[in-house]
Amino acid sequence: MLHNGIIIPTQIALLYGIYLIGKGIQNLFDLFIPGSVIGMILLFILLSFKVVPEWLLQRGITFMIRHLPFFFIPATVGIISYAYVFKGKGMLLIGIGLLSTVLVMALAGLVTQWMVRRREEA
Amino acid sequence: MVLTIVSYIASLHLYRQHRRIYTTPVIISTLVVIVFLLLFQVPYETYMIGGKWIDRLLGPAVVALAYPLYQYRKVLKEMFVPIVTGTTVGAVVGIGSGLLLSKWAGFSNLIIHSIVPKSVTTPVAMSISESTGGVMPLTAVFVMIAGIGGMLIHPLVMRYSGLTHSVGRGVGMGSASHAIGTAASMERDALEGSISTVAMVLSSVIVSIVAPGLTLLLL
Repeated sequence: MLHNGIIIPTQIALLYGIYLIGKGIQNLFDLFIPGSVIGMILLFILLSFKVVPEWLLQRGITFMIRHLPFFFIPATVGIISYAYVFKGKGMLLIGIGLLSTVLVMALAGLVTQWMVRRREEA
Repeated sequence: MVLTIVSYIASLHLYRQHRRIYTTPVIISTLVVIVFLLLFQVPYETYMIGGKWIDRLLGPAVVALAYPLYQYRKVLKEMFVPIVTGTTVGAVVGIGSGLLLSKWAGFSNLIIHSIVPKSVTTPVAMSISESTGGVMPLTAVFVMIAGIGGMLIHPLVMRYSGLTHSVGRGVGMGSASHAIGTAASMERDALEGSISTVAMVLSSVIVSIVAPGLTLLLL
């Protein structure tokens, strides 16, 4: 337990470091892709080429992913400042969100299914 | 910050005992924190003095998503073309339909920018929203609508669209309903769940690349 109390924060600090590098790259090249996503791609490459061994970050990553919802509570709470948006006509936004979600789900799924089936038949 | 941690841990316990959609920890803890702030009339700004420390960890949390992508690299390699194509279609449809529908309904650009990244996981959606001029808390709500809504609607979509293949189902779920949908897929079928994980992470990369350009084009 005490062991984890040291390892997990250290590994999260390492992830933070990668995030900062990603942010640095974003600023350097003036990219519109968020620094965090650049950091994610970077870490994927580092893991794939075995530059970073899995064990070095594994526990911190597992911890973060398991408790992912925790990290966005403060931002979600911010809705109290914007609750008025969903009043009246704002209710429409919920419908728009749902309709768009159905479209994504069906189209992305069907295109993939069609391509996979064609491969399986070939 | 202590308040957030306490309410999160409490809601986690509640969720473990009663697994229901409405007991999802984010929803319960958010409600608890909001009720607390309203009850004691604490302004959001005051709460965020401590809250911003948690907020800062969103970046590294996104970085951590590289790990599931790495774990499923075999699946990704085998089905690379169909998964990437399907996810890209999903990204374009998600951004396009959200944007055009809300524009057509006459909502302000601030709201449109907040709805655009709704189909990707919260931390990424917030980063996108922030960099394109949306409002992060609004985006969080739209992400929630896409996640919970998609999870509930998924069986219907599958039945009426003839989506029967596990790989197709996984891509559909991951690119529309991110982590919440992925969790539901995982419970149904391991292959569908891992494809959904891959699609969710890929989708956050693709959406963050496509969103700014497509928004400029359509708005």
